[in-house]
Amino acid sequence: MTADRTAAFADATEADVRAAFDAENYVAGDEISTTVSLALQLGKPLLVEGEPGAGKTELAKVLAGGFDADLIRLQCYEGLTAESALYEWNYTKQLLTIQAAGGPGSGAADHGTGDEVGSDGSGGNDESTRASESVFAEEFLLERPLLRALRGDRARVLLIDEVDRADEAFEALLLEVLSDFQVSVPELGTVRAETPPVVVITSNRTRGLSDALKRRCLYLHVAPPSLEKERAILERKVPALDGAVAAELCGAAGRLREEPLLKPPGAAETIDWGRAIAALRRDGNGESLDRAEIEHTLGCLLKEVEDIERVDDDLLATLLDAADAARVEADP
Amino acid sequence: MTDEPRSSGLDHPDDDPTTNGVGAPKTNGTDVPDFVAARDHVRDELVRFARALRRAGVDVPANAATTAARALVVVGFDDHERARTALRACLVTDRADRATFDDLFAEFWRRLTAGLDPGGPAERADDGPDGGFAPLDAAPAPGDPDRAGEENDDGTEDADRDRKRWDHGAVVGRGENAADDEEATTARYSPSGRRTAVSVPGFSEGGLDDPFRALTNALAELAGRRWGPGDDTPDVRRALRASVGTGGTVIDVPERERQRTAVRACLLVDVSRSVLDVLDRSFLVTFLRRATAEWRDVRVFFFDEDIREVTESFDARTSKGAIDALERAETEWGGGTRIGASLARLRTDSPEAVSRESAVFVLSDGLEMGDVDSLEREAARLSRRAGAVFWCNPLAASVEYEPTARGMAAALPYVDGLFAFSGPADLAEMAHQLDRRGQHGRIGYEYDPRRIGTDHHSATHPTS
Repeated sequence: MTADRTAAFADATEADVRAAFDAENYVAGDEISTTVSLALQLGKPLLVEGEPGAGKTELAKVLAGGFDADLIRLQCYEGLTAESALYEWNYTKQLLTIQAAGGPGSGAADHGTGDEVGSDGSGGNDESTRASESVFAEEFLLERPLLRALRGDRARVLLIDEVDRADEAFEALLLEVLSDFQVSVPELGTVRAETPPVVVITSNRTRGLSDALKRRCLYLHVAPPSLEKERAILERKVPALDGAVAAELCGAAGRLREEPLLKPPGAAETIDWGRAIAALRRDGNGESLDRAEIEHTLGCLLKEVEDIERVDDDLLATLLDAADAARVEADP
Repeated sequence: MTDEPRSSGLDHPDDDPTTNGVGAPKTNGTDVPDFVAARDHVRDELVRFARALRRAGVDVPANAATTAARALVVVGFDDHERARTALRACLVTDRADRATFDDLFAEFWRRLTAGLDPGGPAERADDGPDGGFAPLDAAPAPGDPDRAGEENDDGTEDADRDRKRWDHGAVVGRGENAADDEEATTARYSPSGRRTAVSVPGFSEGGLDDPFRALTNALAELAGRRWGPGDDTPDVRRALRASVGTGGTVIDVPERERQRTAVRACLLVDVSRSVLDVLDRSFLVTFLRRATAEWRDVRVFFFDEDIREVTESFDARTSKGAIDALERAETEWGGGTRIGASLARLRTDSPEAVSRESAVFVLSDGLEMGDVDSLEREAARLSRRAGAVFWCNPLAASVEYEPTARGMAAALPYVDGLFAFSGPADLAEMAHQLDRRGQHGRIGYEYDPRRIGTDHHSATHPTS
């Protein structure tokens, strides 16, 4: 993107956000672009919730891509600790440094005779003291995503993905980072961000987040895309696919979501499905979907054996009907 | 976007940001808009709006009104949709609250724009608090004529619903109004109310702490991500770190393993009259809330004639949502318990609620009014699908209890354990048995030492 894009997220208007989304082929409604531009202008983290596959993570990626910023991603999981999220000391390197520094000194002490002891022995001790003091220095620090996001000088987007998976202790750690954009490293002091990164936090809502975290964020719920929106997404993401076929795929996927599935397909699955169909029809023809085609590519949409077993002849017929209806509606 | 209303406030002299855009589109060309009054008006309305949302049960963060004001300055006042989106991002933190927000936003916007219009009479804060946006300390009594008049625009049903919100809502700082009889009773669910007013004698929330922790430890079968001392694999990092102190010589290699800390559970609660009459409700609600908060992926279902998921009711900080859900279920379902049919509905509608990793708790007295064969079939299916099935029966707290009810007898072969469930002492006993003998060991009410004790030493059951 242009140089002024990278200058400051804070100056980004809603039109800029829209342009960024457009450039990255991200189909977003007014609600998403308004809320995102608001988060940029107010400098607040954005808490994004929604069904899996609704495009939460994609939102952060697109934001980074569209504004030519670095994307720093922190994937949360249960038991995520400060060492993996913030920083860690490079123990192996520290150990080697201490050994390298301490080796000759101790050797001299062991074998030293007469005047050698006075000079070499004390010199070795000094070196070893210096080494142990300096092993907690910058060069031994392994930056993890949160610290990296604070210390960079380019525009950055920090994506904290699936924060609901991490435990509450980690949420507490996030609070310091999110409210002041600073962290304390006991051995080095406080690290403060010169230019705060744009923070996008996603959650699948498997547990409630703490009030303290919610208070610091703007909230955005990404709804699953409507039929039209999903078709627009598919046409952007899989240009090789014929428009009418794309409509059929969305119709069938929409119908499938009405079934009580263990894992209903999200928009991401529909895109995969579109790519699969496009790959199978290399000539790019626009014929209607047929039963065999759906059956063979069902693995793109459904990821649970119980769900796949649920798709019997009746359901296949219903899916084909829904696909036909969507085709007619899209291209009367 | 640069041609959008954000720029509309730049041409007036007042440098207070909250007046940006306010009034500018509304001037009729001759009057000079009163920016200070408009700013105050917006501020008042925002505060009222946030309070009204809170009263309606929306979890509005404490600083949200400030954020909302900043957001309004950014998006301006011209576009109703954009303003709504912006305020929603600031004031709502839960998808479930969006509908409530949209309901109340219409009223907020009407008041806001009416106040900003120099031609029309502004409804200012000094008009006195009225309507759905009255501040907390001036809550109208139910049946207040002013309020009723305003609510009638939307139909009396809305008015009733709103009054219910008042009745259950957090009524704090009432001052002299607190003497009012009606409000003294509604203060039962107030966060500032005395805890003893809600609790039944003999049970306090704190009493559940130890039994619940013991139960969690006993049930924790899932390996978490966290490492702890153990013997699975050498802990190189700790060994190296310790070696810094010994000049790089590794003296001892500690070992570690994943700690088993997580419990996944599905709680099926029979809310028929026969159960609720014998079970201490505050114990039930506290147990369910603790489980939802502390275990992983917990799903809570209430069943009677039909089954309904109520997990979300337990997410709130107060037990109000849970108590409401319980009351709703009680009034809607009057008749008999159909456990088999309810389990069948659970299997077809929410198959993901139960998995091999989850412990299923059925809280029921086992008095089946429906088809017993169907109950037997469903209990068998449930036991195949679940990691473990525990039947918690409030009746089993009695020392004379035998599972002779037809429903209970039919389900018994398929459950891993039938336990008493009437208070913290029963939970402690259950945790103790699970801890000592495992989820599939010789566990259940029949191994309860308090019961055996009565046979041999004629001791009394502490909780019966």
